[in-house]
Amino acid sequence: MRIDGAAGARFDEAFDYVVVGSGAAGATAARSLAATGRSVCVLEEGPAMDPKAFGDDAWGAFKTMFRGMNGQVARGRAFIPVIQGRTLGGSTVINSAIAWRVPDDVLAEWAALGLDDALPAKELHRYWDEIEKDLDAAPTPEEAWGGFNTLMRDGARKLGVEAAPTRRYASGCKATGQCLTGCPSGAKRSMLTTYLPQAEAKGALIVTGAEARRVIIKDGRAVGVEGRLSAPGRPSFRAMARRAVVVAASAIQSPLLLERSGVRSAHLGEHFMAHPGTPLTGLFDAPADLWRGATQGFDSVHHRRDWRVKVETIGLPPEIVFARLPGAGRRWKEKMALAKRTAIFAVQTRAWAEGSVREGPFGADIRYDLTRRDMMQIRRGLRFAAELLFAAGAREVWPGIFGLPERLLPGEEKLLDAGPDDPRCYSWILSHLFGTARMAARPGAGVVGTDFAVHGVPNLVVADSSVFPTNLGVNPQHAIMAVARLCAERLAERA
Amino acid sequence: MISSRDRVVLDALLPSGGPEGLPGAFEAGFADFEKGFAADAPLPMRLGWRAALFAAYWVSPLLIGRLPPLARLAPEEREDALCAMGKSRSYLIRQVSLLLKAVTSFGYGGTKAVRRVVDYDAH
Repeated sequence: MRIDGAAGARFDEAFDYVVVGSGAAGATAARSLAATGRSVCVLEEGPAMDPKAFGDDAWGAFKTMFRGMNGQVARGRAFIPVIQGRTLGGSTVINSAIAWRVPDDVLAEWAALGLDDALPAKELHRYWDEIEKDLDAAPTPEEAWGGFNTLMRDGARKLGVEAAPTRRYASGCKATGQCLTGCPSGAKRSMLTTYLPQAEAKGALIVTGAEARRVIIKDGRAVGVEGRLSAPGRPSFRAMARRAVVVAASAIQSPLLLERSGVRSAHLGEHFMAHPGTPLTGLFDAPADLWRGATQGFDSVHHRRDWRVKVETIGLPPEIVFARLPGAGRRWKEKMALAKRTAIFAVQTRAWAEGSVREGPFGADIRYDLTRRDMMQIRRGLRFAAELLFAAGAREVWPGIFGLPERLLPGEEKLLDAGPDDPRCYSWILSHLFGTARMAARPGAGVVGTDFAVHGVPNLVVADSSVFPTNLGVNPQHAIMAVARLCAERLAERA
Repeated sequence: MISSRDRVVLDALLPSGGPEGLPGAFEAGFADFEKGFAADAPLPMRLGWRAALFAAYWVSPLLIGRLPPLARLAPEEREDALCAMGKSRSYLIRQVSLLLKAVTSFGYGGTKAVRRVVDYDAH
């Protein structure tokens, strides 16, 4: 059953579990909890979209499905856009549905931090097996590659480096390149079309347009959630929780909710980690089909361990591609006319930087600064991406980096390696977010314990990537879902 | 509401004519987009957009050694001035330039008239 808070539907009820957030973590936790036969309420701040209504215009999607209409930024020396979904299904509706298991070396790091019992590799792999089956995870099929994805295959083959079709939650991908604006064909297995309807079928109530403002904590126990509906006049609501409140609102929103709820920890909102990314554009002699093909259908983890970088293809609609092209006036339009012959390879790094998230006057106040080591990794990654582009046949590469030439020719990719050290010279995106309510056995070392419960509030659990002790170096949705499932099943066992 | 000053900036940024039949900003219907943007966008984004237009009109000529406003300059110089914003040594001016181009792109690259020219077929 669903309630649309935007339509002013009032509700004031009690449930066994109240789940805040409907993205990869919230939907997974809700589905697992609903399967136990207990009553579950899912609170989602954003609207529910009808997949049949998904369009292909980026601004339309930003307005309806992205937090702050995609205007959310992290501040440091550079301003970095932070991309998050704000719709039923969360970021899974607007991401590229990439399914990467946490690499063994990262799981070993977690174990070394004393979390091997809390986040056991064996159990996580069992969940990944199940989730991959549930959501049709498979390498992007060749018929969905399109030109720009094929170019990475070609470049990698020529260089003799590792690259492969990206494993995605999709079946029957129509290669429309519209993952970012919502999959119009229904091929993408987002939470909107999978786990949320399944939770609903097991009796979960889903409330959209419901912003959770505070977890109500009485005598050291979470007893419910209160907030505001998005209907005119912003009426308040209360969803009471008999057993537990599950916070799964993302590494940005979860710490803010906990802070507003009176949770105090020196680690709350701290240790904000991410995978900052920056793109590189290659110009080819023939059309590269930038507008057709799985949005992110190929990637290379060849330098994941030694340089901590991952290189991915990305197809974007013209309005996003144009914004980054150099020039103005006729010179800008000349570049636009060439866009169909370009391919974009994005470099993301497993950054060492740690930032913070606090409540600010316009929403989250996110502070984040890349370190010198991060900049070195990124520069190496950019050089590698340029080598891939040139090996694939690019006649020139447009770095879009202040201080470097507007275009690089084959043989000049080494300039990227020696590029500027200042993050303000690059254009960035932050999309994978972690660590702001991190897990640690001791209260002095983290916000939640090894049972996912906030230290001191045993029935207030955090199920999203806020609890991750490190970043991953690979796309996090798969990790988030497995951890949320582990969290929910342990919570259900407690009852 | 697009003022005459904003129009000078946007006409210089995306003029009529040019390569492969790409339309100018207003030929592509940017005025309609801007109306919606002014009504829907969050306050910080709207303020940023206004600041970007202001900087393009009053500051960009200084970057090529000319006196403002942009309207005083010849068409080629206007283009040079806006290009100079993207190459400025000041990070703030580069960011303002990026914002100007990003918002303009949303109202331009998403239109059928432009997409047709760049071979973006509706899926």
